[in-house]
Amino acid sequence: MEDYVIEMLHITKEFPGIIANDDITLQLKRGEIHALLGENGAGKSTLMSVLFGLYTPEKGTIKKNGKEVKINNPNDATALGIGMVHQHFMLVDIFSVLDNIILGAEPNKCGFLTKKEAKKKVMDLSEKYGLKVDPDALIEDITVGMQQRVEILKMLYRDNEVLIFDEPTAVLTPQEIDELMKIMKNLAAEGKSILFITHKLNEIMEVADRCTILRKGKYIGTVDVNKTTKEELSTMMVGRHVKFAVDKAPANPGAEVLKVENLCIKSKLHSKDAVHNVSFNVRKGEIVCIAGIDGNGQTEFVYGLTGLDDIKSGKIILDGEDITHKNIRYKNTHGMSHIPEDRHKHGLVLDYSLEENMSLQRYFEPEFSKAGFLNKDKMREYSDRLATAFDVRSSEGAKTIVRSMSGGNQQKAIVAREMDKDHDLLIAVQPTRGLDVGAIEYIHTEIVKQRDAGCAILLVSLELDEVMNLSDRILVMYEGEIVGELDPKSTTLQELGLYMSGAKRDRVKEA
Amino acid sequence: MKEKTPFLKRPGVQTALASLLCAVLGILIGFIVLLLMNPAHAAEGMWAILKNFFKYSNNTKNLMYYFGSTLVKSVPVILCAEAILFAYKAGLFNIGAAGQYTVGILACVYTAVALHWNWFFALLAAIVAGAVWGLLGGIVKAFFNVNEVIAGIMLNWIGLYLTNIVLGRETVMDTTKSETYEIVKVNPSGTLPGFLQGLFGGNQYMTIAIPLAVIIAILIKIVLNKTTFGYELKATGYNKEAARYAGMNAKRNIVLTLVISGAISGLAAGSYYLTGIEHFKIASSVPGMGFNGIAVAFLGGLDPIGAIVAGLFVEYITLGGQYLNTNYFNPQVADLMVSIIIYLCGFVLFIKHIFNKNKASVGAVNANAVTDADAAANEAAKSAIEKTKTPDTGAEKEV
Amino acid sequence: MKKFLALVLALTMMVSLCACNKGGESKGSDSYRIAMITDSGDITDMSFNQTTYEASKAFAEAHNADFAYYKPTEDSNEARVASFNNAVADGYNVIVVPGFLFASMIETVATDNPNVTIIALDVSAGDFSAGYQIPANVVCFTYQEELAGYMAGYAVVKEGYKKLGFLGGMAVPAVIRYGFGFVQGANDAAKELGIASEVEVNYVYGGQFFGDSDITSVMDTWYQGGTEIVFACGGGIFSSACEAAIKVDGKVVGVDVDQAGTIESQYGVKGLCVTSAMKGLAATVTSTLQGVFDGKWADYSGKVTNLGLVSGDDASLNYVQLPTDTWTMTNFTVDDYKALVKAMYSGEVSVSNAIDAVPATDITVTMFDNIH
Repeated sequence: MEDYVIEMLHITKEFPGIIANDDITLQLKRGEIHALLGENGAGKSTLMSVLFGLYTPEKGTIKKNGKEVKINNPNDATALGIGMVHQHFMLVDIFSVLDNIILGAEPNKCGFLTKKEAKKKVMDLSEKYGLKVDPDALIEDITVGMQQRVEILKMLYRDNEVLIFDEPTAVLTPQEIDELMKIMKNLAAEGKSILFITHKLNEIMEVADRCTILRKGKYIGTVDVNKTTKEELSTMMVGRHVKFAVDKAPANPGAEVLKVENLCIKSKLHSKDAVHNVSFNVRKGEIVCIAGIDGNGQTEFVYGLTGLDDIKSGKIILDGEDITHKNIRYKNTHGMSHIPEDRHKHGLVLDYSLEENMSLQRYFEPEFSKAGFLNKDKMREYSDRLATAFDVRSSEGAKTIVRSMSGGNQQKAIVAREMDKDHDLLIAVQPTRGLDVGAIEYIHTEIVKQRDAGCAILLVSLELDEVMNLSDRILVMYEGEIVGELDPKSTTLQELGLYMSGAKRDRVKEA
Repeated sequence: MKEKTPFLKRPGVQTALASLLCAVLGILIGFIVLLLMNPAHAAEGMWAILKNFFKYSNNTKNLMYYFGSTLVKSVPVILCAEAILFAYKAGLFNIGAAGQYTVGILACVYTAVALHWNWFFALLAAIVAGAVWGLLGGIVKAFFNVNEVIAGIMLNWIGLYLTNIVLGRETVMDTTKSETYEIVKVNPSGTLPGFLQGLFGGNQYMTIAIPLAVIIAILIKIVLNKTTFGYELKATGYNKEAARYAGMNAKRNIVLTLVISGAISGLAAGSYYLTGIEHFKIASSVPGMGFNGIAVAFLGGLDPIGAIVAGLFVEYITLGGQYLNTNYFNPQVADLMVSIIIYLCGFVLFIKHIFNKNKASVGAVNANAVTDADAAANEAAKSAIEKTKTPDTGAEKEV
Repeated sequence: MKKFLALVLALTMMVSLCACNKGGESKGSDSYRIAMITDSGDITDMSFNQTTYEASKAFAEAHNADFAYYKPTEDSNEARVASFNNAVADGYNVIVVPGFLFASMIETVATDNPNVTIIALDVSAGDFSAGYQIPANVVCFTYQEELAGYMAGYAVVKEGYKKLGFLGGMAVPAVIRYGFGFVQGANDAAKELGIASEVEVNYVYGGQFFGDSDITSVMDTWYQGGTEIVFACGGGIFSSACEAAIKVDGKVVGVDVDQAGTIESQYGVKGLCVTSAMKGLAATVTSTLQGVFDGKWADYSGKVTNLGLVSGDDASLNYVQLPTDTWTMTNFTVDDYKALVKAMYSGEVSVSNAIDAVPATDITVTMFDNIH
């Protein structure tokens, strides 16, 4: 008999008209890292919500240490030692690390906080599991990776035995991902049991012991990771064979489209420039990628380039025209398309319908409005056309409120909008962030198509695979400066890593 | 997948239902209050409030007259609600509507009484005054990033004292009555032209303000839903950053929104005071109209047409208080009842939220069938965890 | 005030007994139903409205008649008209309305409701539009408040107070008459005593019929600047004067009714209210209602009666007076008061009722801007 800490047996959860989980069994051994793999919408979150007490399943039982338990709400789950690190952190920005960790379980004597002991416990935990944090720093001042550690410490502080990680790497840099993998292994070694929700195959191969695969609400199987391959896992997940490498012909660069000269942008955090003296160019028919670890000025650079933030000095030339001080609308209507880094913050008005979002960059054009009045029919036609062309799927077509669409389809909608509008330069910032394999494959193909159609593409990415596979030229950004230009065909991941970590740098080349 | 949303799950229907439920709940709680005060006559009291002017059912003239009065008195609160919801759609909470209303009073009363302006120009003056007050709030919000609520509250007081000073002058203030002179007596051309007065029992306060309010509501509905300006405005309200990303001029829109909102608030004042029904008295607090407008806007589900219905309801209940028998309930009870009902109006969004709780499939939809539930589960899990773990649950999610 | 009420009640009973003696059994209790409508204030103002309310209610109870009062939704003519129609719809046919603001209401409703009797207090002919003929179903009463104010002003100066204050409510005619009477009385007393140069009057209107912190702070300034006594003249505004007075052992003069009892019990300071300038509201209400019930409406119909002094010998019969039952003054005695009334009745002492300008005086009168 195996030693299972949690068993979810034959779980069935239905929603009106939909079976979200159809007879799913998941058994978590003590001290193992168990991956839960599936595309967006495969039923992973529903299954975890059942475990966390947010939903009551129609059929099936949950056992803890072999004994059947009822979990009716999150408090029951917490009492059973089950904790969850969510993809989007649940932290209070203006509180310190320590305050966030003890929040909800504040140690007190007669109603007064006794933080000293709490601090000691946190420091001990952080020592034991190698989770280095500064307990007095404010959440808003620390990196995303640090914030995640705080989330993990929160669970450990509550003495949870079963830790659920919901797509924890989606927001991390490669280095942070490595760190996290180490931490997870440490935790497992110390006897914690981990459920690891992801759709990134590399991570599963690296860290997980076993893997359960779901597809469209159904249980596909549980495999031992060391007896399988990435290809096998992806086939189980998607139901068909997926290509990992991007098919593309060699680039055939033409005339210069974008020229950036000595661009400097002030930092909002410190007195140094966030972007310093950046110069390069992008030509027709090539994909230039800015690579780098998150937080090295890429975001600020893109904001400055597109007009979302002010720039301090330098020049931006698009199609031979100096657009440095033009406003956003001007840039958008004069050849610049922008797939933003944060699709929820910038890319979409989530409470608008699909059709309204599809025309977000064009509603003012004569095609869509006359004398200040919108032409809703045209907007709908346009939206339907793009949705068909770019395979954007939604339940109610053009009327669907975008908030209710899946992340992949939301991103496809943005991609469709930005690619369809008249442009010479496409700025794509982390275009595949948080998407599943199928969607990534699709977006990569589209970007290559754009390139081959003669568009200049500036890609900003944190994913090394993407950087290596998709780009024709790589510019590495470190601490706001371009520290190297690499050719993806001749460079290695290791070399790229050295540039990204600042260990190696070239003279800034004149583009 | 392509089928229509079930009737009960349409957002519009849900809002209407939630509003109705709030109103019913308010009436129920009001009834309980009456029961506590005087069990023997509670039912009679509640009936008196609800029956309202229909007590004149055997006197058609009075019946129509007081029906007319309810309409007349609903106009300013409806217009204030329109002003507030218009700004709200752009993500601005125009608490300054009260002050814009107040300077609207200042402008129309002063021009009509002291300067003997014709009603059209007096009304225009009220609109301009409200717009200017909105502009002041808009400028500090857009260019100095001062929260519009704070700016609004301050401008409310400035507006009030300014109005007190100007309208306290003897050219407009009848000092023996401590209220401004009757417009109809000093300047008959200053009152708004009548509207269906004969039909409404000769109610001399029935003016074109009533159809005007309806026209304004329809206009706002059109602007919000059919124009590029409304499109930009709502986009800014839903997601300011996305609006910026799309190249919309956020500052211009903020200023313009508050100017329009202020103009409507000013119009609210003009369309009430220029009927002659009310005279300005030196006040030590900002008129409540702008604040009641907030309740009405929410009760109306933030819909321009809904606000008309909500405004009529609130005014109906407010005026119903006077029909309570004072031998059994003192007049403050009527005010209390009305306040309770209006207070509960603010719960529309909350009730809508309850409607949608646990209804996983509502709205959450996707191309492949399972995803619906999954996305919803995701969403529900997020909000539930937020609630259990952190105090900063997004109130903004609600709105 | 209670005693005054008791007096009124006793008077009422006497009158009704008389009526019985005459053999005319009052059938009023079936056919007359009494209602009262308030203007801007409420019936808990411890003054004008409250007195009217209590007198009407007491009369209704004594005669087994229905009684109700109506509070308009807001302070506007439209709302007062609505209350009137509401009362009429409820079957009330004798409506008591205290306050000059009701003049417009009467103009709107009186002729349309000829079967409804309207008793208006404090409403003078001048409150109506020019040329308005008061209909037969309306009676209006005004009071010579200047006489009551005169008595109070005269009394307190004779009593020895030199630094006086007048705190009016809103600057409505009745309040102004009280105030100017008060100033004239103080002036005459000071001249008689030869201390005109020493007597000062601070004079202000609060702009409302209730006290608040702004008014209290003005009163604080006065009392702390040496003012000894303030004539608090206007509904509930006395609360501001009293709050300021008790801090420095100052005094007040009440208005409309004998406020000594209520003020003393509310603030727990004996002798805080030195005297009150009274007008016979309750007596008017009671006697007029009695007249209605006795079928003597013709005596009242369409009239505007200005009530003041009716007797030089028996001061208690007058519609304006000082309360002798709660007399506290020692230098100015009840006998002095009676002598004053006699002189006023005889015309020996004349008091101007003009309200357009502050009376010319030898004493110093300092006018302050309205507080609100």
